[in-house]
Amino acid sequence: MEEITNNLIPNTEARVNVTYSGQNGDLSDTVFFESTDGDVRSWVTEAVQNGSIPGINAAADADFGDFVVDRFAATEDRPYNLIQLRPKTPFGK
Amino acid sequence: MIEAGVLIDKNGCPIHWHLPEGRTGGSIPDTRTLWDVIWEARDHVLGFAHSHPGGGIPAPSWTDLTTFAAIEAALGRRLYWWITSSEHFIRLEWCGPEKTDYSFRTSAYTPDWVDELRRASDLETVDGRNRQ
Repeated sequence: MEEITNNLIPNTEARVNVTYSGQNGDLSDTVFFESTDGDVRSWVTEAVQNGSIPGINAAADADFGDFVVDRFAATEDRPYNLIQLRPKTPFGK
Repeated sequence: MIEAGVLIDKNGCPIHWHLPEGRTGGSIPDTRTLWDVIWEARDHVLGFAHSHPGGGIPAPSWTDLTTFAAIEAALGRRLYWWITSSEHFIRLEWCGPEKTDYSFRTSAYTPDWVDELRRASDLETVDGRNRQ
């Protein structure tokens, strides 16, 4: 992971945004945009459990196993890649 | 029959009909849209209802239960989860202690949106036809 400086994020990296327990925040470090879903979940789980995401209270039992990793390439309005974790939403089988 | 869903607010009114592409008679696919709507409505959402094929008392699938738990974990609060078949309507809520422990109760009272949900699902009702 690479530390974010001056909000300049290389195009191979992405900011990671998380919603958990009614709160939202970003990992303090960027990650490779092509990191595996499993790695992203693992980093986010560790960060939420130890309370290192600004805006999200520490939750020792945080579990992101049923969260989906969405990836959004940089745009003109958002000049950096974005990875977001959100809960899954399927029903049925 | 095709599964359908609806998001209900604290006044008991529908606030979003969830009819995504890719629905089948046995499933509603994962979509980011539903989560975005729930998050936007987080201060006044009461719960989410979806339909199951056929009659009888419906029961949640493992997919249903893990979706309930994931959405509640992200929201930081509990919701009601309703499931309707052509004949019965149940409400589930978390009872713990495990994250997928949900109890259910059947309801004799069915809000107006239940019939709309059955129609959206093309569910035949007890008398063998859709209510209009």
